[in-house]
Amino acid sequence: MVDRPLLQVKDVAKSFFENAKEFKVLDLVRFDLTERDFVCVVGPSGSGKSTLLRIIVGLEKPTSGEVFFEGEPIRADNPQVAMVFQSFALFPWLTVEKNVELGLEAKGTLPEERRKIARKFIDAVGLTGFEDAFPRELSGGMKQRVGIARALAIEPLLLCMDEPFSSLDPLTAQNLRDEILQLWTNPDLPPKAVLMVTHAIEEAVYMADRVIVLSSRPGRMIAELEIDLPRPRNRKEPEFYGWVDEIYSLIV
Amino acid sequence: MRTIVRGLRRWLRLVAVVLILAGIVAAVAFPEAAWNAIQLPLFAFFSTTRMVVAYLFALVFAIAYGHTAATNKRASAALLPLLDVLQSIPILGFFPAALIFFVATFRGHPIGIEFAVVFLIFTSMAWNMAFGVYESLTTIPADLEAAAASFGLRGWLRFRYLAFPAAIPKLVYNSILSWTNGWFFLVASEIFSAGGTEFQRPGLGAFIAVAGRNGDIPSIAIGIAVLAAVVLTLDIFVWRPLGAWSERFRMETAPGREIPRVPSPYERFRWLPRLPKVRKRIIASVQPALERYHRLSLRFERAYTQHPKAVREIRRVDLALFVVVFVVVVATGLVGLVQMFLRPLPPNASLLPSAAVLSFSRLLVAYAIALVWTIPVAAMLGESQRAARYLTPALELFASLPATALLPVIVGFALLLAPSVGAAAQLAAILIALFSMQWYLLFNLIAGVRSIPDDLKEAARSFGLRGRAYWKRLLLPAIAPSLLTGSITAWGAGWNALIVSEYIQYAHQFYEVPGLGSLLNHAVYPTPDNEMLLLTILTMIVVVLAMNKLLWRPLFRRASSRFRLEV
Ligand SMILES: Nc1ncnc2c1ncn2[C@@H]1O[C@H](COP(=O)(O)OP(=O)(O)O)[C@@H](O)[C@H]1O
Ligand SMILES: [Mg+2]
Repeated sequence: MVDRPLLQVKDVAKSFFENAKEFKVLDLVRFDLTERDFVCVVGPSGSGKSTLLRIIVGLEKPTSGEVFFEGEPIRADNPQVAMVFQSFALFPWLTVEKNVELGLEAKGTLPEERRKIARKFIDAVGLTGFEDAFPRELSGGMKQRVGIARALAIEPLLLCMDEPFSSLDPLTAQNLRDEILQLWTNPDLPPKAVLMVTHAIEEAVYMADRVIVLSSRPGRMIAELEIDLPRPRNRKEPEFYGWVDEIYSLIV
Repeated sequence: MRTIVRGLRRWLRLVAVVLILAGIVAAVAFPEAAWNAIQLPLFAFFSTTRMVVAYLFALVFAIAYGHTAATNKRASAALLPLLDVLQSIPILGFFPAALIFFVATFRGHPIGIEFAVVFLIFTSMAWNMAFGVYESLTTIPADLEAAAASFGLRGWLRFRYLAFPAAIPKLVYNSILSWTNGWFFLVASEIFSAGGTEFQRPGLGAFIAVAGRNGDIPSIAIGIAVLAAVVLTLDIFVWRPLGAWSERFRMETAPGREIPRVPSPYERFRWLPRLPKVRKRIIASVQPALERYHRLSLRFERAYTQHPKAVREIRRVDLALFVVVFVVVVATGLVGLVQMFLRPLPPNASLLPSAAVLSFSRLLVAYAIALVWTIPVAAMLGESQRAARYLTPALELFASLPATALLPVIVGFALLLAPSVGAAAQLAAILIALFSMQWYLLFNLIAGVRSIPDDLKEAARSFGLRGRAYWKRLLLPAIAPSLLTGSITAWGAGWNALIVSEYIQYAHQFYEVPGLGSLLNHAVYPTPDNEMLLLTILTMIVVVLAMNKLLWRPLFRRASSRFRLEV
């Protein structure tokens, strides 16, 4: 059963209310994610990408519409879904290892087991030797690696990332992109699907199998495109640019 | 290195021997002073114990209250306004009532007085700490909150990994403020008259107060010196290291935006780095139990989510209970008030308006004097690292001495300056208010000046802003928010100071000025009158709340939107 939808987003709309005035942020967003999907949602800033992701992981309720994960309504503490944040969202008072163990401890995993899993994923993101460092002692790129290790450690089926490279310098960001794609090709490691949100069109075309394009204010789905470029992708190729230009013209 | 230490030790031993010999000689020569000297360490110990007990209560209260207010929307609707009122009323005014209550509860046993003293200190410590916890919890970055939620941190785990650590910086900062505040009230409360009797417990505060009444200048000096030593020791060995340690719980700001901290000479006393080992051992011993508890609660919770209806029922009962308790408390208070106003007012009640005006004017004079000296000094200390390095510790030491302990010194000083007893009383009342108010202004202003980004100062300089223009265009607008914060706290302290400053006994004589504070004192001691007591406190509360609502709040809102240093 490869094609069972892992995640179903059904006609999600979201409005915020301020002084009894309605601000529509998202309107009728609908798509499915199956196993082995790497999907990027692209849209300009303020198009409600973060809000969409928060709804998908169950941190916020949609005004209308529904989100199903493996056929069940989504819950915020679902250990099958993990999140990576633009601001890293590491706990400044916990060491790297403790940060990575966090989700496991909440799940009730035993201490020795936690330690083993945490070490494995710290190793997988290339941070061996930094287990006892505090986040403030790390560079931005390393912090985001901790964020990724923390998300992978709970062995989720779905990994959600909210602009994970936007606060990194371009070089670090590119390295980390390649590493994530590397991890993604390793079938022994979680997750089964990735949903990433970004405002950088090139980044979306570089990484995703499928790109969902949102308009701004309110965020509506303009297009859903299959990126059939072979991997590893080359930014210099005309086909690559073709895709970037097409998405660009859709947004503008 | 080791030889130096050994040499030092020998020296210390020598000094100790000399001191002991000198002490024996002094004891033989002045037996009375020796008796005092023997008692004082014990008094210091008693006083400190009271402070510690009150502080521990305040800590638990602050965490529980702040956490509830931040996480429970329904409760916060009542808890926040209540905290706001508690924070701004002059609690010293309630002390006589509390004292009578506790003494009556314990049937005159001295333990009742102890409870009353600890309770008073508690009330002087708890509110700002609770507010600090609340503020920290409501300003946790949204992403961190989301991370905690999405990784399933709830209940105890959320508290341990998110809420408590996030609250530590503000909790420690406010603890330091509260601790200083606590001394003020401790000294005021160890000896107190209420309901026609005088209550006294052995302690430094009572010692200094008695010395002041007798005009016993050597005892006053010794008492204040010991108090200063205790305050300073705790500051160096407990609060400074705690403050330095709490820095690591600060949320990271964007790089380059950190406010430069002036390193303090005290910071080399760091015993806290050794603490993690102890902590690790403690955690290792309780960890298994916690893990088991956590897994158990996970199982419970799974069962819980399967019965949403029962959960809703429980919530409803909980809400109903809360509403009932709230209504009963408010109703009893209102009924009591109405009953009081239905009876004819006591004759002295006509004095209240003029007393309020007089007290307010005195505070205003003290506030003006404080402004005049603190703004330039803060500007200087904030701008010059060198001046700050040398002056700040001295100022902090001086500031940590509670105005209530300085009372005899201030009256003595006022007597030297003033031509008549009446004038001396006025001067003393203003000076005590000044000493209670000025430090809050000063330290808030220093923080304000220091938080001006260097870029902005350099930009101002490079555009040739100097002298008056520099003050008008950069410095004063930039410190406006901290000036207001400082002013609000200073006035709060000033209202409390009224109660001790308008009716003073020094060297067997009374120094009294008309005002709310002296009315309160009269209602308590020479002519006990509970109605008058209550009316005076009510007047004070009304004036304070009116000032907060009509003056400080609107000013603060304007200042923080207009002058905020946003990048
Ligand atoms: N909790 C909230 N309350 C009110 N408005 C919000 C809230 N969260 C987001 N918004 C608004 O929704 C819009 C979309 O925000 P966001 O999802 O963060 O966009 P993006 O991530 O695409 O930049 C923005 O205009 C933002 O101001
Ligand atoms: Mg966003």
